[in-house]
Amino acid sequence: MANTSLTELERDVANMIIEALELEDITADDIEPEAPLFGDGLGLDSIDALELGLALQKRYGIRLDSDAEENREHFASLRQLSALVAERRSD
Amino acid sequence: MTSPQRKRAPRHWSAISESGSLRGIQLMLAIYDRFGARAYQGVLFLVGLYYWWRRPIARRASKEYQKQLKAFCPSVFLPRLTTVRHFTTFGTAILDKVLALYGRIAPESIQIEQRETLRAAIDAGQGGIIVVTHLGSHEICQALGRLRRDLKMSVVMHTHHAQRFNSLFNDIDRPLSVEIIEVSDMGPATAQRLQARVAEGGFVVIAADREPIEAGARRRWIDFLGRPAPFPEGAFWLAMLLHCPLYLLVCARQGQTHHVHFESLGDATGLSRRERSVWMDNTMAHFVTRLEHFCCRYPLQWFNFYPFWQSEKQNARPPR
Repeated sequence: MANTSLTELERDVANMIIEALELEDITADDIEPEAPLFGDGLGLDSIDALELGLALQKRYGIRLDSDAEENREHFASLRQLSALVAERRSD
Repeated sequence: MTSPQRKRAPRHWSAISESGSLRGIQLMLAIYDRFGARAYQGVLFLVGLYYWWRRPIARRASKEYQKQLKAFCPSVFLPRLTTVRHFTTFGTAILDKVLALYGRIAPESIQIEQRETLRAAIDAGQGGIIVVTHLGSHEICQALGRLRRDLKMSVVMHTHHAQRFNSLFNDIDRPLSVEIIEVSDMGPATAQRLQARVAEGGFVVIAADREPIEAGARRRWIDFLGRPAPFPEGAFWLAMLLHCPLYLLVCARQGQTHHVHFESLGDATGLSRRERSVWMDNTMAHFVTRLEHFCCRYPLQWFNFYPFWQSEKQNARPPR
């Protein structure tokens, strides 16, 4: 089902996720912006989280702080991850 | 998350107290400093006997290992009082670790078997993952950081668990080029840090022969000395994510000499996602084969004193 609620940045971040993790049969519009990326939502796991960390740096030049709790919030959903990118991008 | 393995936690190595208490290690170090190596060995034998008597889990784990080892390489020589000697060898290794961290291992006593491989790995500037094991004392190799100042290392380990051991070393002069990273903090931020390390030609040091503590951490069952045992996948994943070479480093003792073995386990540079699962299968199997080789060569220097093989059925987790 098409989802038209993505902002341009969210679409960009969604594409980064899809490319970094080579998710098959899925487009940016299939990702619910508020749904959890990990576990029940998109179903990503802890290794995917490491890859997303590397992709964020490569694509947007974002260096994450080592505070684990804070990162968990940033990685909770596409919307929150996009908010992080908006705030911290240095590309 | 309370998963079934919680109930069995007391048998997991992390739940078995590091019974070599801080005070004990300090006392042993004092004995070594005041009365010399011979006195140290004498006292160590008594300590070994005490452990044999008072630590049934460790004793049974040692016996199980000996049984597997004997069946796997029948020509292996195990001295009498094997289990006590296994413990005392561990005590010697602990002293070596302490001396190494204080920079007190004489460079002449370290013999690097594959000097060329090591030099090439450093000089290539590609960095990499260095897999270490609980065979011998890889801490000796932190002494390498003193020999080659340009060798930068990040050591990924369970610092919470080893805290008591580490608290011995608040006063040591750890080379600036060695950084310690807590393994359970492993997340996107740590991945970035480790990537920066490798990008500057440095190395990430991580053990690959102890079951992960974290529930849900990836591991796989591989035949080790003739029976399947769980091995953590972490080190191998890191090599794949960071697209870098993977090496094995073993440092074991023979008489007064520390033998350093350094060899290539594989290279994940340019590996595609499609190739991952095959690479993982092959590289982990190769690693375990090499570990077996070194167990046969240094039979009493493998120090995992918890039920390493366990029951496969009991611990099986659903595939992820």
